[in-house]
Amino acid sequence: MTSPALFDRRLIFVLGKGGVGKSVVAAALGTAWARAGQRVVIAEVANQHRLSDLFATRRVPRNTPTELATRLYGYSVDVDKATEEYLASHIRVRPLVDLLVRSRAFHNFAAAAPGLPELVTLGKVWELAVAVEDGRPVWDKVIVDCPATGHGIALLQTAGNVSELAAQGPVREQAHRIEEVVKHPGATGIAIVARPEELPVSEAIDAVATLRADNFPVAATIMNGMTPRRFWAEDASVLGRVESDDPAIDEAVRAALRSDHHARIEHEHLRELTVGTYTSPIVVPDLGPIVIGQSELSILADALDGTARTAHPAARP
Amino acid sequence: MSITNFEDRRVIVCCGSGGVGKTTISAGIALALANNGARVAVVTIDPARRLASALGLETLGDEPRQVDIGPTGTRGELWALQLDAKATFDRLVRRHAPSPEAEQRILDNRIYEHLSGAVAGSQEYMAVERLNELTDDPRFEVIVLDTPPAQNALDFLDAPTRITHFIEGKSLRMLLSPGAAAGHLGWKVLHAGSSTVFSILERVTGAQLLRDLSEFLAAFDGMYSGFSERAERVRALLHSPRAAFVVVSSADDEPVREAVMLVERLTHDHYPLGPAVMNRVRQRAECDPPPRDALIEAYADAGAVHPQDLADRTLAQLAEDDARARRDHDACARLARLLGDRAPLEVPDFADEPVEIAGLEHVADALAP
Repeated sequence: MTSPALFDRRLIFVLGKGGVGKSVVAAALGTAWARAGQRVVIAEVANQHRLSDLFATRRVPRNTPTELATRLYGYSVDVDKATEEYLASHIRVRPLVDLLVRSRAFHNFAAAAPGLPELVTLGKVWELAVAVEDGRPVWDKVIVDCPATGHGIALLQTAGNVSELAAQGPVREQAHRIEEVVKHPGATGIAIVARPEELPVSEAIDAVATLRADNFPVAATIMNGMTPRRFWAEDASVLGRVESDDPAIDEAVRAALRSDHHARIEHEHLRELTVGTYTSPIVVPDLGPIVIGQSELSILADALDGTARTAHPAARP
Repeated sequence: MSITNFEDRRVIVCCGSGGVGKTTISAGIALALANNGARVAVVTIDPARRLASALGLETLGDEPRQVDIGPTGTRGELWALQLDAKATFDRLVRRHAPSPEAEQRILDNRIYEHLSGAVAGSQEYMAVERLNELTDDPRFEVIVLDTPPAQNALDFLDAPTRITHFIEGKSLRMLLSPGAAAGHLGWKVLHAGSSTVFSILERVTGAQLLRDLSEFLAAFDGMYSGFSERAERVRALLHSPRAAFVVVSSADDEPVREAVMLVERLTHDHYPLGPAVMNRVRQRAECDPPPRDALIEAYADAGAVHPQDLADRTLAQLAEDDARARRDHDACARLARLLGDRAPLEVPDFADEPVEIAGLEHVADALAP
């Protein structure tokens, strides 16, 4: 069975180890899709505030879609407010909601209750994905910039956990509805991001295995920050033969050999990611030591454009 | 500045944003202190395979194991362990449950299962609990704590408060098991208020989830004061001059920004600061690039088919390396400026992660120059 490409899904979760560039990948995916005429919203969870930096706009206010570029919006999930909204939608008697929201016991409970902040966050994202206006979906794409792997997987699993914990009641029903969408390969795609380094790759491989075992639709793996290759095997043998007593030439040869060595290691990590996840990773190039802004996002969107539309992960074993 | 200036501290906490190499730096700090004569335990969280093997941790659970750091002489000891949040939580319950029945009730409770197994939250809390256990262990003079990956690098400081609020919040207990408060004054008032809250919650969650929850809280009865005492103890230790926080960054924009935010938050909350560490700093080459002609000639002599092309690619590489090294240097300077002219300890970029303890020595040397 081949899952549909990333491009065919409405709800996309971008997941990966801290520091691999999830926010940049989410923003570049959003840029690529908005360019292609889609209405896109990127949802930030857990106070990341990365979008405003990347798009050099004012801070994305909480719980209100904010335009970042043409057809591209940012959204920041405010858990406290969303919890209140969530209760209001279930209880429907405003004074009761106020009573609950004002109670300190409830706040302590809500802040630490296993799964509640995650469920509310996921519920908010789900709302964006299923929102309809005039018979049409409000958003063509909802991209979720997830927290680091462990927390990100917990976020995805929370609906299932809650519907397992609560045997009946509205919470269970809602959790179940959310779970259905989040696990539906026609609606949802999870993109796992790695960098060509040991830990991010092994974490990505583990994440893919965990998510698949749990029937989550893993739609793509993305190798972010691959250094464009500058030297090849035939260069290495020439470089190895250079004889010189000029320290500047020695240094130059060492730099070229280092670069080749580094590229081989990166390539080995790409291979590990490919073999370890049974996918063809989408490769996003390293842009060098620069600050990423909108024009860089557009270059990265170019890299994602073709592949994000067409790349099909290999059939599962 | 050297990390060994901080060897009189009972605990050194490494924090920083994801991907900066916190775990390697934690191990490097521990080794530097051990080399200087201290008995050190490093608590790692999810170390890379190579680092784990350098520390001899492949087979290790969450018990401290001594690492072979070569001939002792004036050296101290290095111990390492890997945090296992679930095991720590279970041990805690076993040690502090008032009776074997209570212990079993907790371990079997479904809420506990989710709470203790959840990565989110419980890892932060258990890192703090583990720290507490280790500070009681006379084998170790210094404990170096790596911090879990989190949405916010300092989540783990708030975790004890958050989770103790949850499991010992008195108001919540009364809310969920009104009987527990029956002896108290004002019971009627409380009961009236909380039963309303209870019934609202019940409409949303269903009765069974609340029943599990109240069973869970009842099972923890008798352990509450222990939890808050230990959380308080760790809070006090981390605020005292016996602790030091090391903020780790890499030269990328976001980690530097996060490092500055961390330092601001730590200062604001009166946590004792140690040095900042800039990891993976690339050094500029010691000489200028060679003239293009000389390089072409050298490549032609070595049998290159297209020596000009190879020379141009080499020069482009040198220019890029230099740009990266300058960027790293600027990032160090910026971090130093933002931290009030305290230069961070610089750890050079080693082409490969340390595989053996010998590789980790380079990190330790950079931290204790």
